[in-house]
Amino acid sequence: MSQDKKEKRIGIFICHCGKNIAGGVDIKALLEISKKLEEVVFVTDNKFSCSEEGQIAIQDAIKDNDLNRIIVVACDPSLHLLTFQHCGKKMGIDPAFVDLIDIRKWTMFGSPNKVDEKQALINSQKLIEQAAKRMRLKRIVPKVSVEVNQSVLVIGGGVAGLEASLDLADKGYKVHLIERLPTIGGKMALLYKVFPTNDCAPCILAPKTAYANIHPNINLLTNSEVANVEGHIGNFSVVVNQKPRYVDEKKCTGCGLCIEKCPTKVIDDEYSRGIGERKAIYIPYNQAIPRKAVIDSQNCLYFQKDACRLCEKVCPAQAIDFKQEPKAIELKVGAIIVATGFDEYNPDQKVEYGYRRYGNVITQFQLARLLDIDGPTKGRLLRPTDKKEPRSIAMIQCVGSRDENANGYCSSVCCMYALKHAQIIKEMVLPDAQVYISYIDMRTAGKGFEEYYRRTREIGINFIHGRPSEVIENNETKNLILKVEDSDIGELIKLEADLVVLSCATVPSQGTKQLAGLLGINLDANGFFKEIHPKLRPVETNIRGIYICGSAQGPKDIPDSIIQAKAAASCADSELRKGEIQLPESITKANKTN
Amino acid sequence: MAEVYVEEFMSPGCVGCPAVKEMLKSLSEELSGEITVEEVDITVDTSRAAQYGVMSVPAIAINGDLKFMGVPKKEELKKALQEELGKDE
Repeated sequence: MSQDKKEKRIGIFICHCGKNIAGGVDIKALLEISKKLEEVVFVTDNKFSCSEEGQIAIQDAIKDNDLNRIIVVACDPSLHLLTFQHCGKKMGIDPAFVDLIDIRKWTMFGSPNKVDEKQALINSQKLIEQAAKRMRLKRIVPKVSVEVNQSVLVIGGGVAGLEASLDLADKGYKVHLIERLPTIGGKMALLYKVFPTNDCAPCILAPKTAYANIHPNINLLTNSEVANVEGHIGNFSVVVNQKPRYVDEKKCTGCGLCIEKCPTKVIDDEYSRGIGERKAIYIPYNQAIPRKAVIDSQNCLYFQKDACRLCEKVCPAQAIDFKQEPKAIELKVGAIIVATGFDEYNPDQKVEYGYRRYGNVITQFQLARLLDIDGPTKGRLLRPTDKKEPRSIAMIQCVGSRDENANGYCSSVCCMYALKHAQIIKEMVLPDAQVYISYIDMRTAGKGFEEYYRRTREIGINFIHGRPSEVIENNETKNLILKVEDSDIGELIKLEADLVVLSCATVPSQGTKQLAGLLGINLDANGFFKEIHPKLRPVETNIRGIYICGSAQGPKDIPDSIIQAKAAASCADSELRKGEIQLPESITKANKTN
Repeated sequence: MAEVYVEEFMSPGCVGCPAVKEMLKSLSEELSGEITVEEVDITVDTSRAAQYGVMSVPAIAINGDLKFMGVPKKEELKKALQEELGKDE
């Protein structure tokens, strides 16, 4: 506290950042403005404040002018605040009395917030005046020592959440892995095969799901969602709501007898997006982990009409428990990793492609389920209207992606999964079928991806360089007619296909917005969780101790999701391993009024 | 004259933020002393919110100290401002 009471001697350092700042604002004018501010006793400029030379200059200035508070006028604090806090600390200045303010966003060529030189001066002047006043009145907030709970909450049991959980559990931390659905594995488990190796997706995922299920450090909570979060890094209190399964997990052996006898068939929206059916009591798919039945109370005859109870009668393990209630589980964790994945864009909104209006228009996710030998058709590709094998299949790329009327971003994986499905159809399922891919650009940047694309062309897949304006159904045959201008040959192509497959965008998974609200973390313009810095801190959020990974952060493929999951686990580990951290008292004691 | 610097963390669409803004405006007029209020939009200035560990809006920091998360009672806010201004009115 002693620094609070001393005479305040503020130093302001204005960085040129080469020409990034100096090229967009009048530095001399800013120096003159800064000199006139109350309790500012020293003002200078540096070419690169963050360089070693720049930092030495700041330290010398602190020493020569007996400065006790400094403001660096340069770039985003998420980049360099720590740099300057360390620099100040070496000279005995408390980190609270070091501020970094960002004027580069207005001056740098290419910045989305770039303004003209006159406006940059007005904005920068205001920011410097504010910062100087804030610094003048600021006092040190006492720090308290907080014990870091040696456990982590991972939200989402897809491939990213699993990877992060396993990494942390192997390091010795207790991991609570929660999943909204009755089984872990996420979307990857339903993809049949994965590019660019055409590996069987469940086969390479199963070791992870199985290990997560038996790992002594992982507490797996399926059918569960986050209901409330309070606290701060090291000490988050989380309430998780677990929906009843109506089946005792400890007793159920996964034999499937109940499913066989259940009389109620339901369209399976969750695991096949309406392509297949399941019963009211079901195990999502063969390799589901945990392999335990679950009752869908919305469709179960007992819950709806107080009848049936056949499952209860036939279960040899007496595992059916209609009396199960929702549970609120309280968890104390030191860090939180969000890995809630993505959903497939609903193409209903693109009326021109006739999804749901025309029976033979499906999505790539549905196609993956149809091709899956463990899927609803046991791997036979049959078109929905007449259950016949299609002779021609047209895929339309960028449905809901790179489209100003839907989502402006590129979903990054659609080109590759379309190529994958084209390969599977041509090589394994229907070698005589004609497959067409109608695209704007093929984007295949990834290890082994370009080779995969070339191979797809070589096996006889037809590529049309253009996006169809609409799809029309032939009323009699239920075939689909596409008109598309191929810009490579400059001709309008009229194509009749038995089946149309839409390569839909990846969008944030349901509940993303609500979860962001509960966690206090930000969303980006597209609704995905926002990282604190897109290049240098891609898995950290605006809340210390909460990390994001996988498709929850933005569209990405499996290897990138794994990389991010490992990064998020590493960030959590860095904080947890300290055992105890110093936090400003304000974070731990602020009055919470709602 | 006694001075205080208030950072009001807010975001567009935040339900409680206008109430806090109004409260701060009326207290600035009511209390003697110079009260400077800076509105910090956490969707624009994410790093400031991160520095304070702000998890939800509205939140209020007074002279660098995060005092309130959520909408405070006007009396509580008044008391906190008075303490910083070093006055008992």
